[in-house]
Amino acid sequence: MDKRLAVCAVAQIKNHPNYHYLRFQNMLLECFEPILEQTKATFDMETGIRTIITCSDDVFDARTISDNGITDVVGAHFRGEEKIAQESINGLGYAMACILSGHDDVILFMGHCKESQGESRRMVSNLAYDPFYCRPLGMDYHNVAALQARTYMEKSQVTDEQMAKIVVRSRKNGAKNPYGRENKIVDEDEVLNSPLYSDPLRELHLYPVTDWAFGMLLCSEVRAEEFTTNPVWITGYGSCMDRYFIGDRDLASNFSLKNAAQRAYAMAGIKYPREEIQIFELGDQAAYQLPLWAEGVGIADEGQGGKWLDEGGMETFNVNLSGGQLNGNPLLLGGAARVIECYYQLSHQAGERQVKNVKRAVAQAATGGAGQHQAVIVMEAQGG
Amino acid sequence: MAEYWGVTVADIFNSMPERFRPEGARDVAAVFGYDIKDEGKWQLTVKNNSMALEKTDDLSCCVATMAADGETFVGVNVGKVDATNAFMSGKFRIEGDMVAFGKTGRLFRKFVLAGKGMTTREYLADMFATIVPRFKAEEAEGLDASFAFALGGADGGQWSVFIKDKACTVTTTIEGKPTVTLEFNDARDYVDFILGKIDAQSILAAGKAAAKGDINMMASKWPLLFEKYKDPLGGNVKEQELLTLKKTISINQRFATGPVMGKFLRGLKDKKIYANKCPQCGRLQLPPREVCAECRVRAADFVEVGPKGEVRYMDVVYYAMPDPLTGVARETPYGSINIRLDGCKGNETLPHFIRKDQIEKIQMGWNEMQGTRVRPVWEENRSGDIWDIKYFEIDE
Repeated sequence: MDKRLAVCAVAQIKNHPNYHYLRFQNMLLECFEPILEQTKATFDMETGIRTIITCSDDVFDARTISDNGITDVVGAHFRGEEKIAQESINGLGYAMACILSGHDDVILFMGHCKESQGESRRMVSNLAYDPFYCRPLGMDYHNVAALQARTYMEKSQVTDEQMAKIVVRSRKNGAKNPYGRENKIVDEDEVLNSPLYSDPLRELHLYPVTDWAFGMLLCSEVRAEEFTTNPVWITGYGSCMDRYFIGDRDLASNFSLKNAAQRAYAMAGIKYPREEIQIFELGDQAAYQLPLWAEGVGIADEGQGGKWLDEGGMETFNVNLSGGQLNGNPLLLGGAARVIECYYQLSHQAGERQVKNVKRAVAQAATGGAGQHQAVIVMEAQGG
Repeated sequence: MAEYWGVTVADIFNSMPERFRPEGARDVAAVFGYDIKDEGKWQLTVKNNSMALEKTDDLSCCVATMAADGETFVGVNVGKVDATNAFMSGKFRIEGDMVAFGKTGRLFRKFVLAGKGMTTREYLADMFATIVPRFKAEEAEGLDASFAFALGGADGGQWSVFIKDKACTVTTTIEGKPTVTLEFNDARDYVDFILGKIDAQSILAAGKAAAKGDINMMASKWPLLFEKYKDPLGGNVKEQELLTLKKTISINQRFATGPVMGKFLRGLKDKKIYANKCPQCGRLQLPPREVCAECRVRAADFVEVGPKGEVRYMDVVYYAMPDPLTGVARETPYGSINIRLDGCKGNETLPHFIRKDQIEKIQMGWNEMQGTRVRPVWEENRSGDIWDIKYFEIDE
């Protein structure tokens, strides 16, 4: 049985604040066609695409069972179609389970989110909380993130100035990414003086509202050469769900990310992540998360996030050369965006951002209040 | 102890604490006696909205005492013996303050035999018999109104509830011009409605009931004027307190039409209906979508179809699904049709509504059978949305 699956092709549209002239169906179609073009994949029932995995969000789409609205533009009519409503990185985990279990050997994985449709993403994430207690208190991902930010900054001695540097760097890196959201290049003072959302988080500490869609063709190891000469391999996956209630958690502990990362590393046969992995794409819906998750995946020491930033950890470990989610990816698609950047790097298509001699990369993404759910994917270059 | 209709005298007394209605005892502070021949004597003390019952030998402290034989006592309580007849024929008598004893009628919910249901007729009798005891005079200040109930079906009947000078009376007729009239086609629905088994909106929407006159008086004032009716069958089980949250989840949204749906909606402004055509299989889609879902290719060619066509499917909708854009409930029933516009084939149909007064005349089409020919009726001022077509009507 296979031990890894191939990413044969990826496609995406540019991250954009508001695709006011497109439905999300139009956005997906712009990703669907390039995948078929690059791979020459068909929908033949014997050898073609028989399973489609999609990632979308009912509340952002304002319709329940939101995958129903896109089956035509992802080619899912008369096919198996499964929806991931959680972080898109789990779509890769799902695809991995499908392929390694022998359920299917070619999978089209597509995702979309049009955050600009809704008036308020805070009201969207407010709905993640129970209607009896947490929701009436006004909990949403921003103010819960602020609780985590405060406690983590205390623990790891991360400062407002360091958070500002993370934002400034993200935008600079994002400007080199042709698919990155076009943002104003800012300096540290602008970050430090941007409107306060929930202390200590300011407007510029948070990822901006973004519309985006992507597609990937995934297949089993033995079939990769039918679709590409330059596959990238997914060799490890791990996920972990932390507790729902804030009061049950140590918000600065990284418990679930460490668990997810260990599983992914074990699956990929990695013992020393700092030596064996050259690229890290980390989730950063808010600036403070970058050093926190760096601790979680094992490239910064526990409780040393501030020191790690000062010592140039982000550059040493090639963290978020894409600009990261902080530069702009929709809430639930950050993981797919991280994986796509790793794909570009590992297949040597990253242009200006390309890191030399890249053999292995890690994509990590979090979702849920204060990174409740964590997932990590290990990817390897052809021949790596 | 003797049983009458499967019930003993003790059953009646033992169930009194459970059947006690504190709201019916607000102005009662008295001791009542019951002297049941060959069964014993009981003393009921009512004070401070609560009651105490004890078996005793001495009823001398009672303000009023009822004396009866066991059969009459049980019969009156289970509804097998008419109380007025029994009183007139001397089968039971009241000693002491008869007016005071009259108040005991509203102290208890109806006694119901365990395991036995109540018929619609029994429920209606109990519901209207308890109206006066459930009346809250303090809410009727300055009110002069009458509520009429016309309940159809075999078990139905007519009742009027008059409220004037802070007093409430009930009659079994409808007289004069009621302030508000509630009509139910079937009295059983009224019983289910009062018991909370069905909601008013669905009965009204289904045309099974109607309210005439000052509907607002019924909706807003009635619940204040009367204690809620309690189901006697529910009386033996302590009610759970159910906590629920009522919440409307609302996030404003702005949807882009995209170029394909945009072309279709723009066409409606010009009274044109556009389908899009698959370049591979030639299939038409209405309304147009970005791709032919079967061939998985863009379907960018637009074809004007209709505007006339034939009805392929129709159903008659009785539930007034509100228009989500306006919140206004639709008038029911309405005819929901799928029309195969001229130029379309097979199942390439467009959904819309048929003119309300033509529902009965519509013939559905299928295979070789042609359906009724229809044409769109256009809105005069069109803005590029589905309601630019008001509805379709028969093309005569």
